[in-house]
Amino acid sequence: MTTTSSGTDRPAPEVDVLLDALAATFTGVDGTPVPVERRPLRPDQVAGLRAAGADVLVLDDGQLADLELPDLELPDLELADLALADLALADPERGAGAAVVVLHEQGGTALVARGPVGTAHRAAAEAVVAATSGLRRALDALRSEAAVIDALQSVGRQLTAQLDIDRLVQEATNAATAGVGAAFGAFFYNLVNQFGESYTLYTLAGAPRSAFSRFPMPRNTEVFAPTFDGHGTVRSDDITADRRFGRNAPYHGMPEGHLPVRSYLAVSVISPTSGEVLGGFFFGHPEPGRFTARHEALAEGIAGYSAIALDNAQLYERERHFTRELSRSMVPDVGPVPGLELVTRYLPAATGHKIGGDWFDVIPLPTGATAFVIGDVVGHGVPAATVMGQVRTAVRAYALLGQGPGEVLRHVSTLLDTFAEPTFVTCLLAVLTPDDELVYASAGHLPGLLLHAGGAPELIGEAMAQPLGVGHEFPERTAPFAPGTGLLLYTDGLVESRSRDVGQGIEWLVEAVARLPRPLTPEACDGLVQTLTDGRYDDDVALVSVDHVGRRHP
Amino acid sequence: MLEHDRGDLSSSGGDGGSGVGLEQVPEGVVVTVRGALDLALAPTLRRMVDRAVRLRPARLVIDLTTVTFLASAGMSELVLANRQLDGVVRVVVASRLVMRPLELTRLTDELEIRASLADALVDG
Repeated sequence: MTTTSSGTDRPAPEVDVLLDALAATFTGVDGTPVPVERRPLRPDQVAGLRAAGADVLVLDDGQLADLELPDLELPDLELADLALADLALADPERGAGAAVVVLHEQGGTALVARGPVGTAHRAAAEAVVAATSGLRRALDALRSEAAVIDALQSVGRQLTAQLDIDRLVQEATNAATAGVGAAFGAFFYNLVNQFGESYTLYTLAGAPRSAFSRFPMPRNTEVFAPTFDGHGTVRSDDITADRRFGRNAPYHGMPEGHLPVRSYLAVSVISPTSGEVLGGFFFGHPEPGRFTARHEALAEGIAGYSAIALDNAQLYERERHFTRELSRSMVPDVGPVPGLELVTRYLPAATGHKIGGDWFDVIPLPTGATAFVIGDVVGHGVPAATVMGQVRTAVRAYALLGQGPGEVLRHVSTLLDTFAEPTFVTCLLAVLTPDDELVYASAGHLPGLLLHAGGAPELIGEAMAQPLGVGHEFPERTAPFAPGTGLLLYTDGLVESRSRDVGQGIEWLVEAVARLPRPLTPEACDGLVQTLTDGRYDDDVALVSVDHVGRRHP
Repeated sequence: MLEHDRGDLSSSGGDGGSGVGLEQVPEGVVVTVRGALDLALAPTLRRMVDRAVRLRPARLVIDLTTVTFLASAGMSELVLANRQLDGVVRVVVASRLVMRPLELTRLTDELEIRASLADALVDG
């Protein structure tokens, strides 16, 4: 007996013991021990034997040739990591003999005896296989369990991070179809549109859309009903042999031209929050008996993750739609005002989808005056937006009653005191009177820019009073506003996005505006936002630009 | 006792992070804010102030010495703290960067502002 380590690592000590024990069972026809040679197998030979995958297997001629033991016939026995193959000499004429192959973690070793041998080694090898077959089955089961968990884990992570519904359903379909080894798979899912109506869409994997586009949506036939009703998984080795199959008009089975399905697996996708059936996965294979309990478990797992992901994506989409609508409905329509060039902007934060609390307004007053409003409610989201809506309306209402800017702000601040939650709102209100005077008051808002016909912009309204909800006295000031004069009002997102220093931000704004031709155009205002924020405003931005361009009362 | 609560690190102004700490001292409680005091960190400051209020301190100092950005969300919390503990709260402001927003909103009229923590802790 010789041992070599070339090509294969030395077997572990317990395998050594097994090899020694098995080698000792080789006896001649007379019952006496015969010499046994240890021959390490090359990795490709080991892989060839392992790939056969069963406990007991008979190798075909090709596999024999791969072993490069041409004189050996291999009724192979394999067990777990220790796998045995009983090798009998193919040609007794050239010297009877036998070999047993042991596959182990380090590779494989053939025990080869030259010369005539008895049957004791065969019995010993079979005994080892029998003794360890339970272990082998347990290991196999654990391995496939681990494979299912691995696959689920990676699919789950991918799916639950996806908020785009179209991509999510396609990824789920691809992963599930590949995971269960189906020839093709489909995912039918229900969505609810903005009017609350439900509709069904589907994705496919393994088959082009044209393969199904001619058929109507699957109906609640006896085969499909359990899936669409959420009554559990349907797995069939041959659906065409199922008693539920083919009982419904008009097709009584698959419509002509349908992809051939024998093996069938269908699982429901059920929302973990509402318990509602969101859809179902359907897998098919043209050969019978393809889907195992393991495939079923994997499909159910992926369906579970898909349900969570679909729930998330639909909630996210609803929230985004709500935010968009709310934010659009909050932006007032500003009509033309004779003698004034107006540009107004409301830009939600460029980062994230949150609605903010900034607003602007332009209010033509019964006296012939026009009020310009810019404001900012602290916070984000629906709470800030609803407070903003109320404050904007209050400002409008008090201004329309003919109150001056200081009085309007005082009333609004008092109104805010009655809100349950403390609020903090900055606001600048400027009223342009018919005789070209600008009367303004500011509740802690950033200074506006008064743009004179020639010369540098002048900051107005700086530090005049505390924010609404904090202060209650709002003094007014007046500035002449002759034709050629302009006013620019804005919120902090414009001056605090690029620089965290509001003083610096205001300086940049003054410099940038001083360089712009007047009257300010919509393009110039958009450019201003771009320049001052680098296009990355992490807060919302509101802006009102007014240019007095001529006679207001022709 | 020294407690720290981390805010959203992404909101920091590149100064290694924003956060709020609370420390009990013989004179009362000092709440120290680091980094950007914005919408992301404001709730953390509110929690710390609530904790400080429960300790019924003779003096609550909100130290903004290392604040790199004071947004209106942060100022709103300062006003709230001041109203919860009227006459007890002092705010430490050591930079123009933080003083400017307080001036623009005239919160300088309402808040008791000191230039250093030592100043804020002395009587009177």
